[in-house]
Amino acid sequence: MNPAFDLLIDSGGRLVLVDEKGNRHENVRPARMFPLTDPEGWISLQGPSGEEVGFIENSKTLTRVQQAALSDAFAKRDFVPVVRSIDRISRAADGHLWHVTTDRGPTIFRIETDESIQQLGANRLVIVDDHNTRYLIPDIDKLDVESRRRLERYY
Amino acid sequence: MRFLAWSLAEIDEMELEEMGATASIHLIQGGIQTHAWRIMTGRVREADVFLGRFKDQHRIARSDLKLDPEALRPEGEDEEVVEGESEVKGFMAGPMVRLFVFAKTWHRLMVLGFLLTLASTATSLIAPWLTMALVDNVLIPLQSATEEVHVNQVYKFMAQLAGAGVLTWLLNWARTFVVARLAERVTSRMRRETFEHLQRLSLTYFNRKRTGDLISRIGSDTDHISLFLSVNFIEFVCDVLQCVFLAVILFWINPLLAVAAMGPAPLVGWLVSKVRGHLRGGFAAASRAWSAMNSVLSDTIPGVRVVKAFAQEQREIERFRATDKHIFDTNDRVNRMWSFFTPMIELLTDVGLLVVWAAGAWSVAHHHITVGVLTGFVLYIQKLYGRVESMSKFVAAAQRASASAHRVFEILDVKPDMPVNQGMRKVGRLSGEIDFKGVKFRHGSRQVIKGIDLKIAPGEMIGLVGPSGAGKTTLVNLACRFFDVSEGSIWVDGMDLRELDVEDYRKNLGLVLQEPYLFYGTIAENIAYGKPKATKAEIIAVARAARAHDFIMRTVDGYDSMVGERGQQLSGGERQRISIARALLIDPAILILDEATSSVDTETEREIQAALDYLVKGRTTIAIAHRLGTLRRANRLIVMEDGRIVETGTHDQLLNQSGTYARLHEAMMEVTSQ
Ligand SMILES: Nc1ncnc2c1ncn2[C@@H]1O[C@H](COP(=O)(O)OP(=O)(O)O)[C@@H](O)[C@H]1O
Ligand SMILES: [Mg+2]
Repeated sequence: MNPAFDLLIDSGGRLVLVDEKGNRHENVRPARMFPLTDPEGWISLQGPSGEEVGFIENSKTLTRVQQAALSDAFAKRDFVPVVRSIDRISRAADGHLWHVTTDRGPTIFRIETDESIQQLGANRLVIVDDHNTRYLIPDIDKLDVESRRRLERYY
Repeated sequence: MRFLAWSLAEIDEMELEEMGATASIHLIQGGIQTHAWRIMTGRVREADVFLGRFKDQHRIARSDLKLDPEALRPEGEDEEVVEGESEVKGFMAGPMVRLFVFAKTWHRLMVLGFLLTLASTATSLIAPWLTMALVDNVLIPLQSATEEVHVNQVYKFMAQLAGAGVLTWLLNWARTFVVARLAERVTSRMRRETFEHLQRLSLTYFNRKRTGDLISRIGSDTDHISLFLSVNFIEFVCDVLQCVFLAVILFWINPLLAVAAMGPAPLVGWLVSKVRGHLRGGFAAASRAWSAMNSVLSDTIPGVRVVKAFAQEQREIERFRATDKHIFDTNDRVNRMWSFFTPMIELLTDVGLLVVWAAGAWSVAHHHITVGVLTGFVLYIQKLYGRVESMSKFVAAAQRASASAHRVFEILDVKPDMPVNQGMRKVGRLSGEIDFKGVKFRHGSRQVIKGIDLKIAPGEMIGLVGPSGAGKTTLVNLACRFFDVSEGSIWVDGMDLRELDVEDYRKNLGLVLQEPYLFYGTIAENIAYGKPKATKAEIIAVARAARAHDFIMRTVDGYDSMVGERGQQLSGGERQRISIARALLIDPAILILDEATSSVDTETEREIQAALDYLVKGRTTIAIAHRLGTLRRANRLIVMEDGRIVETGTHDQLLNQSGTYARLHEAMMEVTSQ
């Protein structure tokens, strides 16, 4: 990559991009172009008003420090809990309540229709709850038997 | 929990930033963000209220009042029009026979199923035989105590009976499994072939058909067939076999009794043949009624916005009620016949049984037969009558399946009116010269294109204008070869379009329509629709060129966002830009834009126009537009009216002619100046 390019965190904890031409963009917001199918590649860097100021084709080509800056910026905004197990699914007035254990601890969420469960690739599922929070099941086969059985009834 | 407190004066601002699945509140002090709290989207409303209160206080504290402008969001439009109905009468050679031709691929499975059926039927007849011996050799002697009966013999009979039972069960199990497997394969092949065939039919066919009708033929009609093959048909075969076996056994045991018992059989046969025709008609009507209901559903559900906008819910309810009533009535008719038929058969068999008992009692009294034989006989005859009854049920199932099979074969029998294989000439990338020579076209009896001569050079951009109904869409449909010309010919790169391999030709074709259609899937999949192997870099590049990248990045999942039916709602302009990216990705030699910007506002149109300007570079382009301004880059403008070309020239030339174009232009200027 061009030597002028850099990604860093400023004193206010915000991401700063120095682009190929050496221009400095403060408070940039990283956004994944393919958050579900290719989270490591194709990252768009947007300015405060949403315009794209640069992009990264593959985050693995960045230096360790830059990668850390990037993942730090992502950590501040990402919230896609990974479902570890499905403990119970109960019928609610309008839809179903899912009691799950995620990588961020146990939670309960509500989904309204079967379409809220979307398949991405062979074994990957994304569940969108009624607040639009997304829960990821990266590999159905890696769930325990009980969870899989519960899931099967709805998906 | 930790509480933090600031005085209002210490705070510059607090702002809420929504970041897809979560949001966060930023506290800004001295120009930099000092704190941030993250919240789940479900709580955004509360956070908003809180920030509103904060801002009020803050404003009062700083005593400067500002107004934030409210953001207005344009909404997308989508409606789908389903065309009127018409039936295609295909050739029909006993749908049932054709159904079995379908199963031919799996003849090994078929033979296995048949053998298992044979075996399981035979074993099910062992038990009454054993009963006969049991009664004569064990029970009667035991009762009359004339002979010594060894207890072992009882055990032997019991064991044999149990053995026969288990064997029958095993064979039945295997049979059901094999047959269901076969039926599933046959119907799945049927569904697949029907759908594949549908994909080969021309637009004309789809224009004539109702979506709901097609869906119900491929969906529920094939399901009827599956049920028939896996359950009814095989039961029927079992029944026939059993009847034959039973008849043989009965005559063998006692011909006289057998003749007496068979008495009602001809009557049953006559009843069955009588009822058959009626049932078949009834089931065909029921399937049609079902289609009509599906049609209403596939009309009303996608058009729900229009229904609501015109407050026509009640009318749609009435419409649905009417079709539902129709289903109800046709089924009622079938049921009425049915409810008479089944008990009638039962009555006849009861009469037969009565005859057997009477004749049997007489025979036993005169020592022609033993009690054991009579017992066995009655068991067999009951089985036989049971079979006859279930065979009569088969009549209904067969008629229903036959009606369904007919409806499915009707689709399969439609000859593709666009003979795909007629033109076999393989072509690679074309340069894009198009030459219409004396082209005429009729929709049914109506002449829509009345003679068009037009030569378009490679890379030229043609603007096609004219009043609505002039035949512009029809002309480009001909160029896409969705239809074949009625007279004249279209030449592409010096080759007659009809000689070319359609698929090869369409690979050179990019089409952007007024109403872009997005399939259910991600944005990336939709862009890559014409080139599924496209790399992510290519997809992003065309999205940027189509000015779609920025709004795609504003959606929650970027290029992975679900769109299309039940997917994320995009506005008309956004969907249009995705369809432009889609056309751009295949890098077509010939580009057709049919009112690509007509359904969007002028602001969006400008965005799309920029995308289009990039798209048309270096390609032969035919652009249809009502807003004449969008054709400013066209090399030539062609004015069509009533199926003919009436004027040709540049914008200025045409204005000076003060003809149709000048009139259209004037009308447009009037509208814009208002
Ligand atoms: N499938 C069809 N069957 C019968 N007539 C049709 C069909 N499609 C279009 N037409 C008629 O052909 C004429 C030309 O239509 P079209 O090419 O769509 O006009 P436009 O110039 O507005 O695009 C219209 O009068 C229309 O009613
Ligand atoms: Mg048109």
